[in-house]
Amino acid sequence: MKNFYIFIAVLFIPWSFSVAKYDEFEDGDDIMEYDDNDFAEFEDVSEDVVTESPQRIITTEDDEEEATVELEGQDENQEDFDDTDAQEGDTESEPYDDEEFEGYEEKPDSSPSKNKDPITIVNVPAHLQNSWESYYMEILMVTGLLAYIMNYIIGKNKNNRLAHAWFNTHRELLESNFALVGDDGTNKEATSTGKLNQENEHIYNLWCSGRVCCEGMLIQLKFLKRQDLLNVLARMMRPASDQVQIKVTMNDEDMDTYVFAVGTRKALVRLQKEMQDLSEFCSDKPKSGAKYGLPDSLAILSEMGEVTEGMMDAKMIHFLTHYADKIESVQFSDQFSGPKLMQEEGQLTKLPETKKTLLFTFNVPGSGNTSPKDMESLLPLMSMVIYCIDKAKKFRLNREGKQKADKNRARVEENFLKLTHVQRQEAAQSRREEKKRAEKERIMNEEDPEKQRRLEEAALRREQKKLEKKQMKMKQIKVKAM
Amino acid sequence: PGPPSPPARCPCHPLPRYKPPATETNPALEDPTPDYMNLLGMVFSMCGLMLKLKWCAWIAVYCSFISFANSRSSEDTKQMMSSFM
Repeated sequence: MKNFYIFIAVLFIPWSFSVAKYDEFEDGDDIMEYDDNDFAEFEDVSEDVVTESPQRIITTEDDEEEATVELEGQDENQEDFDDTDAQEGDTESEPYDDEEFEGYEEKPDSSPSKNKDPITIVNVPAHLQNSWESYYMEILMVTGLLAYIMNYIIGKNKNNRLAHAWFNTHRELLESNFALVGDDGTNKEATSTGKLNQENEHIYNLWCSGRVCCEGMLIQLKFLKRQDLLNVLARMMRPASDQVQIKVTMNDEDMDTYVFAVGTRKALVRLQKEMQDLSEFCSDKPKSGAKYGLPDSLAILSEMGEVTEGMMDAKMIHFLTHYADKIESVQFSDQFSGPKLMQEEGQLTKLPETKKTLLFTFNVPGSGNTSPKDMESLLPLMSMVIYCIDKAKKFRLNREGKQKADKNRARVEENFLKLTHVQRQEAAQSRREEKKRAEKERIMNEEDPEKQRRLEEAALRREQKKLEKKQMKMKQIKVKAM
Repeated sequence: PGPPSPPARCPCHPLPRYKPPATETNPALEDPTPDYMNLLGMVFSMCGLMLKLKWCAWIAVYCSFISFANSRSSEDTKQMMSSFM
């Protein structure tokens, strides 16, 4: 409750500021009036005196009413002075002498019209402020904001509907294949939530596990950002489609060592640049899959020919040809570690951790204008995924293939060590220099001369020993070489 | 051979649990839009306040709306509200 009150209080502060600003503007207008009145002061006085003078002219004729009328006139004047010159105090609210204003008796005719003018001028500015024209900027902005909010709500709901349409179609297949469907990691026990995990307004996750051969499967429904108006406008220039990304983590014993990918040429070129494992193990450019009967849009990246032969069986080719328009990329890798990490120079790193993974990226048909039916049409692709899981488990390289694969992996590791060797050497050297410097400092800081001498001698001895060791090593190497 | 039969669950192994996709290693790759928009919004609101430019303040409001629309659900709602203001 306290937090709520604080929140309300905090909300009031800017609101009051905004209101205060309007007050200032109003005050500003009033100030303008005061400015005018500063100079018009004398006019007012003269006008008041002019009003006074006809009264006096009249009252002089009626001697009986003289006193009362004069009093009234003076009261009126005092009120006027209070209204217009409130800031200036009471100095001018005293009644004026008749002698000062003798000259103004000549203008009685113009006074009535002048009497009316000050009253009308005061009213006009109030009307001007209420017109719509002065607020066109605000109206425009608020309309834009309202449009944004409307788009947000519509987009959010559409993504939600698409996600649930997908899930309802796929639920049966998933539940028949996986023991745990839907988990958000918060429960202590592993129970199926049976629901999608909403990470964002446009990203939905689903974790399935509990099947032989695979550790688990993470499905990500990556929709377009329909809730963001800017994105919607950008998509009008550049059409894009929703994606479904499936990542299957395999158990170590259930997959042999190979790296293989198939997909659209564009996607494969991009992946080869970005992905650590594809760039290291698949050095050739993506090859056409026409040899296996694949459509021209698809290409293959493989570590070795044997893997391609093994992977491209009849059923796989059937899947790939039939759903070629929906497939963006399919990647099987035992050395999967994600995209290449940007490392700083001089930063010592170990080889990134690898996991045996199968990755699938599917494009939802409709390129942006998707409907729930389009989501449903992805169901056969899920069957393909399940088929691939089983296939990956069954596929084993023969002896030659295995040797090649092992050699490749050893080569990659060696390269990495070579790269970091220089860095490791530099690090070791800097450490040694640090130690020497620390020792020297200690020796310098020793006040006792005796101790100093002893430490220096110890350091000298250590250095001599090191030199001797080095010399011995060199001799040994020379002997071996001979 | 190898039919996709009902899941054969080994009772001795615990079921692997959900782990959020490794955003700790590459948070920058995971769409920096909400963070940029937040920063822009704050900059514009400061400009609007200091230089008394109304249009700056309006752009700041827009930026905070865009940041909210693109944000991840794991982020604090209190932070969101404060960015709106």
